[in-house]
Amino acid sequence: MRLLVLGVLAIALMVVDARFDVLKPLRSQLGMTVTPLYWLADLPSRAWQSMTQTIVSRNELLAENEKLKAEALLMQRRLQKLATLTEQNVRLRELLNSSALVDEQVLVGELIGVDPNPAIHRIIIDKGAKDGVFVGQPVLDARGLMGQVVEVMPYSARVLLLTDNTHAIPVQVNRNGLRAIAVGTGNPERLELRHVADTADIKEGDLLVSSGLDQRFPAGYPVATVRKVLHDTGQPFATVKAVPTAALNRSRYVLLVFSDRRSPEQRASDSALAEQEAQKPREVTAAQSASKAAEANAAAHPPAAAQSATQGAARAQ
Amino acid sequence: MLSKPRHGWVIWLSLVLSLLLAVWPLPEFLQIGRPLWPALFLAYWALEAPSRVGMMTAWLLGLLADVLLGTMLGQNALILTLSTGLILALQQRLRLFPLWQQSLVLLVVLGLCQLLQLWLNALVGNRPPTLVFLLPALVSGLLWPWIYLLLRFIQLRLKVS
Repeated sequence: MRLLVLGVLAIALMVVDARFDVLKPLRSQLGMTVTPLYWLADLPSRAWQSMTQTIVSRNELLAENEKLKAEALLMQRRLQKLATLTEQNVRLRELLNSSALVDEQVLVGELIGVDPNPAIHRIIIDKGAKDGVFVGQPVLDARGLMGQVVEVMPYSARVLLLTDNTHAIPVQVNRNGLRAIAVGTGNPERLELRHVADTADIKEGDLLVSSGLDQRFPAGYPVATVRKVLHDTGQPFATVKAVPTAALNRSRYVLLVFSDRRSPEQRASDSALAEQEAQKPREVTAAQSASKAAEANAAAHPPAAAQSATQGAARAQ
Repeated sequence: MLSKPRHGWVIWLSLVLSLLLAVWPLPEFLQIGRPLWPALFLAYWALEAPSRVGMMTAWLLGLLADVLLGTMLGQNALILTLSTGLILALQQRLRLFPLWQQSLVLLVVLGLCQLLQLWLNALVGNRPPTLVFLLPALVSGLLWPWIYLLLRFIQLRLKVS
């Protein structure tokens, strides 16, 4: 009897949790009380790390210092070039009448746990609602996109990685702008591109960057590199396998991106308005053409709130 | 035994410990065989202290596990309640079995739990491809005698009843 009652209660909870949002606060509060368990489970590896750091030999430190200095020098040289490139990019974008590339704000989070089920690729980080983290927020590491936040607790958050088999992200080939959708396979080193035509111009070594068409991930971040393109005459589409650029199962520090949360059409109309303001004294026709271009831009991205990356991806395709 | 319940905190501490073990970082190749710690610990207490640990405890622990693992609320609650209910139904006989027979019964019970877990996971789209989902039940069954003896030792030592 009690089994029946508790069982029905559990099933009711499941249905409510899957369909509605009313249990979210309860979940996040309960989550706050049990998250210390993850912290506790992570303690030994943390202690080991700090211990190895304290007893690392002087020579090693010197060598590392040397290496880092050399690296910094290289980076600085690249940065100098980048400054002019950024300048140029902004000017070209102005010419093209598209929204300017905004520097996104980031927050550094640390990994505190991974999902114990190896079939589910999710990690837990030490930043939560109190730090402004929100559901759907993109997460990066130093090398590329890692995934998105799917659950927020007060002091921690759960991140779904790109390679989980319930995740998909719209991407572009960096070389020629070809659009595709990269879906997770459940293998931490493998993404697959869906619905790529057999004749599409895509080859091994191509860099795939986020296209931003999902209105969730910022555009232009590296996602994966193409590893293999298989053309099977029996299949309607080519099979494209790619390797994520981010170190999904090795990164300890992650970056949470606070990007411009305006929708593309909003951004387009904003920039069109700014354009009009700037051109008012000169000519009326120029402003009209600008707003027309903005409309065209908006039409390319149909206005609808993207609920999930998958949906956004499907529409983009 | 009409004595007053004593040292209830030991039971709860062991259950929280089981949750901790459920998320303890393991190398990749061991993860697919991670024992079902909460279910095992609950099974012991349901066998040896059925007046203290019942389906209500299992349900609450399951809810905590759901929050901890990020599954649907109620998923682990349902599964743990079911496994504890089965153990409680068999409790009178199961207590008299030798350890290896208890292991066999637990293997079946936990295997059923894993099957249910698989179905529920499939509802939200996470489907492990192979029969690997039965491995945790097998490992748990193999570990049962040691867990039983360890918890038995603790229970007798601290006179938990």
